[in-house]
Amino acid sequence: MHSLKTAIFLTLSALTAFTLSGALLAQQGATESVLLHPPANSWPGYHGDYSGRRHSALTQITPGNVKNLTLAWAFQTDQTAEIKSSPLLVDGIIYFTVPENIWAIDARSGHRIWHYSYPPSEGEHIGHRGVGMYKNYLYFLTPDAHLVSLNAKDASFRWKVTIADVSKGYWTSMAPLVVGNHILVGVSGDFDNLSGYIRSIDPETGETQWQWNSTPPVGTPGQTTGGMTWMPGTYDPELNLIYWGTGNPTPVLNGSTRPGDDPYTCSIVALNPDTGKLVWAFQVSPHDTHDWDAVETPVLVDGDFHGQPKKMLMQSSRNGYFFVLDRTNGKSLLTVPYGPVNWTLGIDSQGRPIPNPKKEPAPDGRLIAPDEGGMTNYRSPSFDTKNGLFIVDAHPSWSIYFAKPADGVYGWAGADYTVWGKGLIEAIDYQTGKIRWTHEAGEHGSGAGVLTTDSGLTFTGDAAGNFLALDSSTGKTLWHAGSGSQIVSSPTTYELDGRQYLLTSSGGVLFAWALPEQ
Amino acid sequence: MIFSRSGIFLCVLLTASYLSAQANTPPQSDQRPASTQDQALVEKGRDLFRKDCSFCHGRDATGGESGPDLTRSKLVAADINGDKIGDVVRNGRPDKGMPPFDRSPDQIAALAAFIHAKAASAAANGRKGAGGRRGVDPSDLQTGNVEAGQKYFNGAGGCANCHSPSGDLAGIATRLQGLQLEEQMLYPRHFKPPVTVRPRSGESITGTLDYLDEFTVGLTDANGYYHSWRTRDVQYKVDGRVNAHVELFSKYTDDDVHNLMAYLQTLK
Repeated sequence: MHSLKTAIFLTLSALTAFTLSGALLAQQGATESVLLHPPANSWPGYHGDYSGRRHSALTQITPGNVKNLTLAWAFQTDQTAEIKSSPLLVDGIIYFTVPENIWAIDARSGHRIWHYSYPPSEGEHIGHRGVGMYKNYLYFLTPDAHLVSLNAKDASFRWKVTIADVSKGYWTSMAPLVVGNHILVGVSGDFDNLSGYIRSIDPETGETQWQWNSTPPVGTPGQTTGGMTWMPGTYDPELNLIYWGTGNPTPVLNGSTRPGDDPYTCSIVALNPDTGKLVWAFQVSPHDTHDWDAVETPVLVDGDFHGQPKKMLMQSSRNGYFFVLDRTNGKSLLTVPYGPVNWTLGIDSQGRPIPNPKKEPAPDGRLIAPDEGGMTNYRSPSFDTKNGLFIVDAHPSWSIYFAKPADGVYGWAGADYTVWGKGLIEAIDYQTGKIRWTHEAGEHGSGAGVLTTDSGLTFTGDAAGNFLALDSSTGKTLWHAGSGSQIVSSPTTYELDGRQYLLTSSGGVLFAWALPEQ
Repeated sequence: MIFSRSGIFLCVLLTASYLSAQANTPPQSDQRPASTQDQALVEKGRDLFRKDCSFCHGRDATGGESGPDLTRSKLVAADINGDKIGDVVRNGRPDKGMPPFDRSPDQIAALAAFIHAKAASAAANGRKGAGGRRGVDPSDLQTGNVEAGQKYFNGAGGCANCHSPSGDLAGIATRLQGLQLEEQMLYPRHFKPPVTVRPRSGESITGTLDYLDEFTVGLTDANGYYHSWRTRDVQYKVDGRVNAHVELFSKYTDDDVHNLMAYLQTLK
């Protein structure tokens, strides 16, 4: 009797709560809890979760049924700008970008909820990686190096702050990383001798909380400039450290005015997100002269390394090397090439490649592997936790690099040309660097990132613009769909109403895929 | 049989691709320098160029890793008020990775004015500017030794297995100079190899490979018609001799490249 009464009471309470919360609480936004532990029906940050693994626990789409994958909906931007962003998904709404534009669309139907346009602006419009989200606010970087905050529900304007001086040659294109009450932003620019930095912005007021500079002030004698912070980093809440890749030094192809290693360019750095204080740095390319920034995703993995439990950080770097670090202290665990490289004399005692001075750009040219685009670039790799494989869209390539005194010591300061390249999806055994399987992805190379799932699937794309689903343990193709354009983004996945969606883009079109509805 | 025929085909194709190679002479002296009245248009074009074009083509249109130096482009030299540049901007060059840009006639005119102004100033002042990517002059590529290059061509390089200085390469240094010759020498990136497709029933067809991914193979036949098949339905064989260029990359010393270049430059 008592229990029955209680049950009825509970049911009534639940109904009441449901009704009220339906009206008031449905849109929580990207709360700290959502960002730390993204529910299956969300993708609240650039990488999904903070780890950068781009691996999903969803298992509805499997190696057995993926051949039935069908188009759930497509969304056309009706613009020629290519989608390079990773769409966020919070409370059933997808937010994605191209330069100066944000769309909010319904994750169930793909229909537009709103479209925000930033006024035509100065600065490079080469690409845009997406928005950051904190609670119900969006944070959007612009080609003229401003950070704009909008209300997510209707794109209404909150505030705008200057991040860098566009007239000096900076622009911004990255997706802010949101950690606690910090909106972490980075800057872009390679054609001028400028300092790179990460800045932490207050999500409510837009005020600067701290700034970490990757290189000394411009004009410091004998010191490098550069170290741009093109891409969002990753975050370990237990260690309370953010991990960020920094860009190449400037002048880009001529290192004569910046002798030595040029810290902290081409580095992976660990910072305290509350203070901006540097905790450690590991330089993947000392004294770079080939534009190989180290901004590729610093992927955080906890697991066994040669019999010992380790908190690791892995990067397939643009310079052709795969790195495994102990992320508590930045010490090297493994440095190994994952394709042809010919620019080093070996690996030093700290696990860093030693650049060969004879392979610096020269007036009559130097044949270099990989090319300037690198063995991989900004598109995400994925760590398949199930198979222990680091899967990356690799780009074996060769190029010629030139620099002569007449090219000067400002900005690019030389010229380089790709001679040949191809796309190769590689599955790297992180304990040895050995390549478990490869999958040819076409001439010149693919621009697709990688997503893996717990069901054993690898989603990526090829140079011809085919979306691909591969078997994560073998690399064998299980599904494909021609997209009609170049793929230059990384896939995401989510589950809504009990249905798993795969979200991909090519050209100016976003595609959502799912199994046929029952 | 197939390959003796396609060998001839290869030579024809190489010649065709050499002839169609872009950007191989400096701009002519009849470039229209920007007059005072054009200055506003040039500045408008500069703003547009720096938004959409400069990441690939360099801030000053002198080229980059993924976009050619427009100040030395034949197409730019032949362009009048955007009539040729406009086609490329609006349609892109999908085969070379350039997307189309939907721009108005006024915007095209401004872009063209800016590119022409950069071409004129590059020709006039030796391409000095601030910050952007630079170029390579034929005079930079004269450090090799002709005899050593000839020896490499006939020996270690294996070039003579496919090429002949009196055959496909006769006059190559007249058709191509400087960087374009060196790029073509290292890898003929626009070359389309011959392919033979054997359907399950019927005769084999040989043509020029037009398209190939995991799922589809497409060729253009001798009459200029395109055909395609699902790769799972046919056997196909692509003439892979061009891969000899790829195999050389890891074997070349920089001196080999410069010597080979010196030798090819004698084939006028």
